[in-house]
Amino acid sequence: MMNQNNNAILHIDHLQKNFGKFQALKNVTFDVYPGEVFGFIGPNGAGKSTTIRTLLGILRASGGTATLFGKDVYKDSVSIHKRLAYVPGDVYLWPNLTGGEIIDLFLKLGNTKHNRKTDMMIKRFQLDPTKKARTYSKGNRQKVALIAAFSTDADFYIFDEPTSGLDPLNEEIFQQSVMELKKEGKAVLLSSHILSEVEKMCDRIGIIRSGEIVETGSLSDMRHLTRTVIEFQTMQPTTELQTLQGVHNVTVGTNGLTTFSVDSDQMSYVMGYLASKQIVSLQSTPPTLEDLFMRYYSSNEGR
Amino acid sequence: MENRNFHQTWFLTRFSLKRDWLKLALWSVTLIVLFAAVAAKFTTIYDTQASIDEIVKTLKSPSMVSLFGKLSGSAPYSTADVFAGEMTVFMAMMAAIMNFSIIIKNTRGEEDSGLLEIIQSHSVGKLSNLSSSLIELFIINLLIGFFYALGLQFANLTGTDTNGNFLLGLGLGAAGFMFATIAAFLSQLVDNSRSATILSYIVFGIMYIARMSTDVSNPKATWFIPFGWVEKFSTYQENNWLPVVLMLGLSLILSIAALWINDHRDIGSGIIATRPGRAKASAFLRGPLSLFWRLHRTTIIVWVIGLLILGFTYGSIFNTIGDILKTNPAMEKLIGATAVHKANILIIKHFVAILMIVFGVLALFPGIQIINYLKSGESKGYLELIHSKPVSRDYLFTSVLVLGILTSLIALFAGMLGLQLGGASVMKHPVAMSVFLHGFYAYISPVLIILALSACIVGWLPKFAVFGYLYTGFALFVGYFGKLIDLPKWVAKITPFGYIPNVPVRKLDMGTMWWQLGIALTLIIIGYIGYHIRDLKSAN
Ligand SMILES: Nc1ncnc2c1ncn2[C@@H]1O[C@H](COP(=O)(O)OP(=O)(O)O)[C@@H](O)[C@H]1O
Ligand SMILES: [Mg+2]
Repeated sequence: MMNQNNNAILHIDHLQKNFGKFQALKNVTFDVYPGEVFGFIGPNGAGKSTTIRTLLGILRASGGTATLFGKDVYKDSVSIHKRLAYVPGDVYLWPNLTGGEIIDLFLKLGNTKHNRKTDMMIKRFQLDPTKKARTYSKGNRQKVALIAAFSTDADFYIFDEPTSGLDPLNEEIFQQSVMELKKEGKAVLLSSHILSEVEKMCDRIGIIRSGEIVETGSLSDMRHLTRTVIEFQTMQPTTELQTLQGVHNVTVGTNGLTTFSVDSDQMSYVMGYLASKQIVSLQSTPPTLEDLFMRYYSSNEGR
Repeated sequence: MENRNFHQTWFLTRFSLKRDWLKLALWSVTLIVLFAAVAAKFTTIYDTQASIDEIVKTLKSPSMVSLFGKLSGSAPYSTADVFAGEMTVFMAMMAAIMNFSIIIKNTRGEEDSGLLEIIQSHSVGKLSNLSSSLIELFIINLLIGFFYALGLQFANLTGTDTNGNFLLGLGLGAAGFMFATIAAFLSQLVDNSRSATILSYIVFGIMYIARMSTDVSNPKATWFIPFGWVEKFSTYQENNWLPVVLMLGLSLILSIAALWINDHRDIGSGIIATRPGRAKASAFLRGPLSLFWRLHRTTIIVWVIGLLILGFTYGSIFNTIGDILKTNPAMEKLIGATAVHKANILIIKHFVAILMIVFGVLALFPGIQIINYLKSGESKGYLELIHSKPVSRDYLFTSVLVLGILTSLIALFAGMLGLQLGGASVMKHPVAMSVFLHGFYAYISPVLIILALSACIVGWLPKFAVFGYLYTGFALFVGYFGKLIDLPKWVAKITPFGYIPNVPVRKLDMGTMWWQLGIALTLIIIGYIGYHIRDLKSAN
C-alpha cells in the first residue's frame, strides 16, 4: 500500500480549468487505483463534469496535470480511450437510430463487438433495443450508454451521475454491475451528488466544492460526518431523546411528528430507544450531501 | 372545450414574440431592406423607356420566365412593372425559407426538445402552442408585408399606384403566412422536426418546379399551384386581389387541419409514426463516416434527387429557350441549319451560365449542413460519447469534410446531369454532356472554398457556423440579381463564384482553379488546427 502512487491508474495533480475569466476548476488533486471504486461527490456546479471532460480530452486543462494509464489525457486521448468506458450524466442519442444500433456503434467505435455480456446487460436493464432513440425517456437513454459501457472490456470506467434518470430498481442493477467490475479488478470513477449511492459502492471518496477538492479518504474516515434525519411519531412520550448521544436538532412539530438528526454510528441505539416507545410512524431521510458539507465545515470549526 | 384547448394562447404568443425577437427582427429587417433597396435602385437603373424595353425583352424570354416568373400584362411597361416582375417570385422564396424555419422550430422543434412538455404541464391549452405560433407568424408576415408596401410608397417608382403597392406588399406577406401554415400542417404529419423540414422543402420544390413548367408552357395552369398565386397579382396592371384571398383561404384551411390533427394526436407523435427498427447495428454502421452518412442519408438523397429533377425540368425547356426560329422563322434560310443550331446552343449555354449559380448554391447547402454537424451535433450532446471513444478529432473532422464535399459535388453533378437529360428529352440535337461538365469542373473550386470556409469556422468559432449559409445565400443573390439590378463589379468578387464568370459559355480557367483550390486547402488546414486545440462544447 505504501507505493500506491506508482500503480495509480488515474493521477490528477493540481488540475485547473478556466472558462474565460471563470475558474471552474481551481485545484483538483486525487488518484484512483485498480480495483477500487472512487466516489467523486459535490453539489451541482462544483466541477465534477468539468473534471471528467478534462480527463476525456474533451476540454483542455488550463493548468496542472492529469494522466490515465500514465499517459497525458489530452495528447494521448485516442490510445487512452481504447481502455476506457464513459457514461455521461445527460445522454443524448441520435433520435433516428435505435437503441440497439447505438449500443453496437459505441462498441465498434471502442474496437469491440456486440457480445454475450451485451445481451445480458440489455436483458438486465430491460431495454427494448428496437425502439428509436427519439422514443426513449431520459432513463432509457442512460441505459443505452450504461449497457454499452458495461459490455466494454475496459480498465477504467467513468460514470458521471449515471443514475439521475433511473428508477430504484435500475439503480440497484447499476450498483450490482459496478460491484462486478470491482471484483474483476477494474477501476471506477463515479461522480454523484447522492451520498447514499456513493456510500454503498465506493471505497474512497473525494469531495469537490467550487472547483476544489476539500477532502479525500475512505468512507469510514468520514463516517462520523454523516447524519440521518428521522421523522417519527410514538405512542409514549420520548422525553429522553434530547439527551441521547449522537442526537441533534430535535424539533416537535404541531402535527405530532418529531424530527431529529442522528449520527450514523449511533443509529441502532437510538432506533432501539424509539422502538421501546412504540413507533406509530417513522421516516428516515439519508444524509444529503449538503448535510455532509454542513457537518464537514462545522466540525472543521470545532477542531 | 374551446377555452381549454386555447387557454393562454395570447400569453404564449407574447412570450414567443419576446423569445424570438432577435431572429424575427433580423429576418424582417433583411427582407425589408433588400426589397426597399432594390426598389430604390430601380429608379436609377430603369429610368428610360429604352432601358425598360430592353429588360422586358429579357424578362419575357423563356429562361427568365422560368427563373423569375411570367411578366404579367402588356406593353407599355413601366419601371414598377419590371420591379414586380423581377422581385415577386424571389421574395416569395425568401418568405418560404423564413417561415419554414421559424414555424417548424416553434412547433415540432419545441416538441423534440421536450420544452413543449414542460410548457403544457402548466395551465396551457393543448392547441395553444400551435395556435400561438401561427398567430406569431401571422403578425410578423403582416408587418413585413406592410413595410414592403410602405417601402414601395417611398421608392415611388414610375408606374406605381397605392393599390398595387399594398397588393404586392401584403400579398407577399400573405404568401409568407401561407408557407407557414403549409409547414405547420406538414409538421403535424411527421413526428420530428427534421422530417418536417425535409417534407416542407419537398413540397416547396414540387411547387417551384410545377410553377416553372406551367409558366413556360401554359401560364393559366399556374393558377393550380399555390406558389404560383404570387405571380397572378398582376401588380400595377390589373391589381388582382383574388390570389391574396386564395392564399388566405388556403392558410385558413391548413391551419384548421393542423389544429385538428394536433388535437387528435399525442404529444411527440405524428400521423406518420416512427416504426421500430433493428435491434442490432448493420455491419455497415461501424465508424464515424458511416454514422454521419446514416444521419444525413435522407438529406443527401433528397438533395441529390431534388437537384436531378430540378435540372431535368430546366433542361426540358431548352427547346423553348434555344429556338431562335420561333422569334425569327426566316433565320434558317439566311444562315443555314448548322449555324442556327450553333446559335441555339449558345443561347442555351447562356441560360446554363445563369443556372450554374443556382445549382452551385443549392449543392452547397447539404454540404455545409454536414460540415456544421461538428457544431450542431456537439451542442446537442450527440458527440460527447463519440469523443470518449478511441476516435481522434482529426478523424472526425476528416469524416464530415469528406462526406460534406462529396455530397456537394455529387449534388452539383446531379443537377448538371439532370440538365443534360432534360434537354435530351426534348431536343432533336441535344446539348452534349461535355458542356455541362465544363460548368461542373469550373464550379468545383468555388464550392470547395465555401465548404472549406465552413470547416474552418467550425474548427475555430463554432458559434458562427451559420455564416456559411449566409455567405452562400449572398452568393446566390449576387449571381441571380447582380446584372439585373446593376450591382458594382467588386460586389461579385466578394464570393469565389465571382471569379468564375459565365461558364460554360467561357471555358474554365486553370489558373483561377489552382489558386482557389490553394485557398480551400489552406482554410481546411487552419480548420484542422482549430478543431484540434479547441474545447468541445457539451449540451449542458
Ligand atoms: N463550457 C463552459 N463555459 C463556461 N462555464 C462552464 C462551462 N462548463 C461548465 N461551466 C461552469 O463550471 C462549473 C462547473 O460545472 P460542472 O463541472 O458541470 O459541475 P457539476 O458537474 O459538478 O455539476 C459550473 O459553474 C458551470 O456553470
Ligand atoms: Mg455534472
